[in-house]
Amino acid sequence: MSQNPFQIIRPTDKPPETLRKEVMSSVKLVMLLMRFVQLFMADYASSLFDKVRLLGDDRKDTGRKTGRNGPPD
Amino acid sequence: MSKVGKESALSDEELVASLQERMDAERFGVLYDRYAERVFQKCIALTRDRDLAKDLTHDIFLKVFTSLKQFDHRAKFGTWLYRVTHNYCLDHLRKQQRHKEVELEDGMAGRLVEDDPNELRLMGMRADRLDQVLAAIDPTDRALLLMKYQDGLSVKEIQEVLEVGESAVKMRMMRARERAMSCYHELFQEGA
Repeated sequence: MSQNPFQIIRPTDKPPETLRKEVMSSVKLVMLLMRFVQLFMADYASSLFDKVRLLGDDRKDTGRKTGRNGPPD
Repeated sequence: MSKVGKESALSDEELVASLQERMDAERFGVLYDRYAERVFQKCIALTRDRDLAKDLTHDIFLKVFTSLKQFDHRAKFGTWLYRVTHNYCLDHLRKQQRHKEVELEDGMAGRLVEDDPNELRLMGMRADRLDQVLAAIDPTDRALLLMKYQDGLSVKEIQEVLEVGESAVKMRMMRARERAMSCYHELFQEGA
């Protein structure tokens, strides 16, 4: 039986040596960017939390002064 | 055992699970070494352009790295990577050629025959002619024929890659063979 022609034309090329280097440096860059994003998100979340806490404290103080729990919504 | 040596001993799934826990370029390099050749060759087969295949292989590995967390271990990593490669290459070719996929009617699936004479004709084709036919047909048809006759995927495996039902796979396969044969007749009159 003759050989499957699809197998005869199957590519046998090896990926270029430089490709591994290119992929790995892109991967490292992506990792770095992901870490920056995480860092920013973590700081952003914690500073937002601090702001909310401060605002909460302000409201309590205002409430004490006016006898209410802060301005109406 | 060195770190890389130890990681080389891990299965794909173990390696992916550890990467999902903590990203690590070196460990990803082990996956690259295992699959780069297969992905590159698949890209060449689909695009028929070595330079483009190199760029696509780079982008596919980057895509795999950034979406590793989405891999849910339901399929084998190799199957998932095959699907990513297939979809990425076809998306690229579609953008290039503004390709319009023809949706097949489910109702026609009942007419399917397992022993399609076009399959025998394709298998009996001269390799150089088959190569020209594959270059001329639609990338979707090319990808489907290569999946079955070059990569030896079963209908079930093709279903997993394309995420369609069995009848849809058989229908698309039959249509792809028909179109390949009609292209063959156009290119080589004596084949008619």
